[in-house]
Amino acid sequence: MSAPPPGLCAADADARLLAPFTTWPDGPGGVALSQFQVAGMHCAACSGLIEAALLKLPGVCGVSVNPASARLALQWLPSQLALADVLAALQVVGYRATPDVAAPARELRRQERRQALWRLFVAAFLMMQVMMMATPAYVAAPGELSADLDRLLRWASWVLTLPVMIFSAAPFMAGAWRQLRAGRLGMDVPVALGIAVTFVASTGALFDPGGPLGHEVYFDSLTMFVALLLLARWFELGARHRAADALEAVAGALPTAATRLRDDGSSERVAPEALHVGDRIRVAAGEAFAADGRVLSGQGWANEALLTGESAAVAKTAGDAVVAGSINLDGSLIVSVQRVGADTTAQGIVRLMQQAQSQRPFVNGVLDRVAAGFTVVVLLLALAAGVGWWWLDPSRAVAVAVAVLIVTCPCALTLAAPAAWLAASGALARRGLLLTDLAALERLCAIDTVVFDKTGTLSEDRLQLRRHWALGADADALLNVARSLAGLSRHPVAQALADGSAGSWADVREVAGRGVEARDATGRVWRLGAPAWVSARPDPAARLAFGPVGCGDCVLWLDLSEAPRADAAATVKALRAQGKRVRLLSGDQPAAVARMAALLDIAHWRAGATPESKLAALRDWQACGERVLMVGDGINDAPVLAAADVRIAMGQGAMLARSAADALLVSNQLMAIPQALALAHRTRRVLRQNLAWAALYNLTCVPLALTGWLPPLAAGLGMAASSLFVVLNAQRLAR
Amino acid sequence: MDILYLLIPFSVVLVLLIVAVFGWAVHSGQLDGFENEAERILLDEDQGV
Repeated sequence: MSAPPPGLCAADADARLLAPFTTWPDGPGGVALSQFQVAGMHCAACSGLIEAALLKLPGVCGVSVNPASARLALQWLPSQLALADVLAALQVVGYRATPDVAAPARELRRQERRQALWRLFVAAFLMMQVMMMATPAYVAAPGELSADLDRLLRWASWVLTLPVMIFSAAPFMAGAWRQLRAGRLGMDVPVALGIAVTFVASTGALFDPGGPLGHEVYFDSLTMFVALLLLARWFELGARHRAADALEAVAGALPTAATRLRDDGSSERVAPEALHVGDRIRVAAGEAFAADGRVLSGQGWANEALLTGESAAVAKTAGDAVVAGSINLDGSLIVSVQRVGADTTAQGIVRLMQQAQSQRPFVNGVLDRVAAGFTVVVLLLALAAGVGWWWLDPSRAVAVAVAVLIVTCPCALTLAAPAAWLAASGALARRGLLLTDLAALERLCAIDTVVFDKTGTLSEDRLQLRRHWALGADADALLNVARSLAGLSRHPVAQALADGSAGSWADVREVAGRGVEARDATGRVWRLGAPAWVSARPDPAARLAFGPVGCGDCVLWLDLSEAPRADAAATVKALRAQGKRVRLLSGDQPAAVARMAALLDIAHWRAGATPESKLAALRDWQACGERVLMVGDGINDAPVLAAADVRIAMGQGAMLARSAADALLVSNQLMAIPQALALAHRTRRVLRQNLAWAALYNLTCVPLALTGWLPPLAAGLGMAASSLFVVLNAQRLAR
Repeated sequence: MDILYLLIPFSVVLVLLIVAVFGWAVHSGQLDGFENEAERILLDEDQGV
């Protein structure tokens, strides 16, 4: 942090290069946090290799790799280290990394998918052919198969096995070599060892049937082993790519070009990356905002569904904040850019998701260490078995050692946790709940109390008419007229009033911050909007007024109140059915909170709470042993959210990116919360099943292999099936 | 049964040929998205997939 940057210009250019995938938590010049996509990762052990290689570089402060999503989060000092050096260091250990902005990563994924499919096909197709070649030897009666023909079939098997060994099994070999060179034992080592030993033993038996390697060939079990292992990886690749695709849907909402205004009034089209804070951009109707900013001039409506999940348009006039990725529906706006690139709200959401995905679950870290120790034990066991059998029966020594090596591959063990977490978080993302902390899934299992905030959480932002009255006119008749005028406005309050009926209005004019005015069939001008704008003597109890201009008392007064979300009642019911205690904690007036609580049938509620008293209440409940899930809107509830055991923030507004939530409810569908609680329990069950299966499998198979009762064929089948079982079992969570 | 001495090597060569053809199909993008291929006939020439 003390070293000066190597020339301002270079540093500036570098910073711009890094901008799309880097954030600066300590401000420019400090520690940078960059996200990368890594190609060539196959297992949990790879992440350890990458971490070790990068931590050796000067200027690297921290590395976190998620093996399941193949993402790398790097904390480093760009002033001390060039980006090229980071990429080169990864290349040396055998991985390719690209900065994690959508396009190159997508291309990388496509290549990875093609390559994986190609390897899988070669292995699976040749496996079938090799099995065909091997069948006669299994089914022929003694003497039926001539020695020459037997030899020819073996030769054919050998030729067909070669591409599998050289091409399809290459990732295992390369992975094992990387791990050995780095002095670490990952799960590629026993896999590669098993494959290599089997191939060498079988080749020796083919060329020299009377030699020390015996006369049995195992080309069929060898190719099947490789094919099934690649199939398991293919499923895992699919799960990873689906998660990545979901992310890109968010990232893809940003436009590819923006119109920047020069000082002389002319304009130019530039890439969003080239925008600077303080630039003025013009956003035409139908265009997406390229950066977060503030409207300087113009009026329009923006669709912020990407960020809020609400499809209702939001009015934008001078001084309003706009967020990148939302769409300008009509009107041309001049926007002053305030945040660009990785600092924008939309990118903040993307980054939160990426961080969730590149965060290695704690369980997984433990599993990694288990796998390393496990490998050593397995290698010693295989060696001991080989040596032991050499004394008892030399002809079976190799076969037994091979069986031990193949059967004990810890794939199921290391695949167990990431497969389950990844499938569950993908399922939740489809329901609109984005997990930013995967470990929250584990904590969700312990929750027994759900605390809701009222405004913006249980209630919608949309209002509904509660009361209407008029002093000198027929209130109901006026209301019908007001409803028809409201249909012509897109303001949320007017939208709440509109019922779809059409009136004969002319000269409709929307006045920002005031309301809407229009001329009726008789030529009278009517106004619907702020009471003070409509009447000279506004009624303090009204939130909205409607009346003709210049009329004293013939004004309709309207009072609107917030409506509960459509699924709020069902959510409370579902939570109670799960045995959870539901509480309502609000800073609003007691009358409003009581009404909402009665409406939703919530027995425990507290009104008029300040942020401090909310926090105190939460602490009290926690002191009584309750495990609290807090659902708030993430802005004014920040301290309470931070203290809760699990925090879910409603996905609204620009503060979202800074909230400390474990999960973001971007769809605003409250039903996702009981679903998440149920899914958390299922995830834990699946994880336990997976771990139990992996342990049980090894406990039964290793003794069998040691005693020589497990032929290599059954060993290969059992091992690959256990990996498949773990991955497929986890996929049940993705539904 | 002498024909087997010809057929077996012949089938091996054939299998390797099939593998090569599949490799070409994968790398020319024919298996990237099955939906794309099915819908391609509905698209105009210049629309691509």
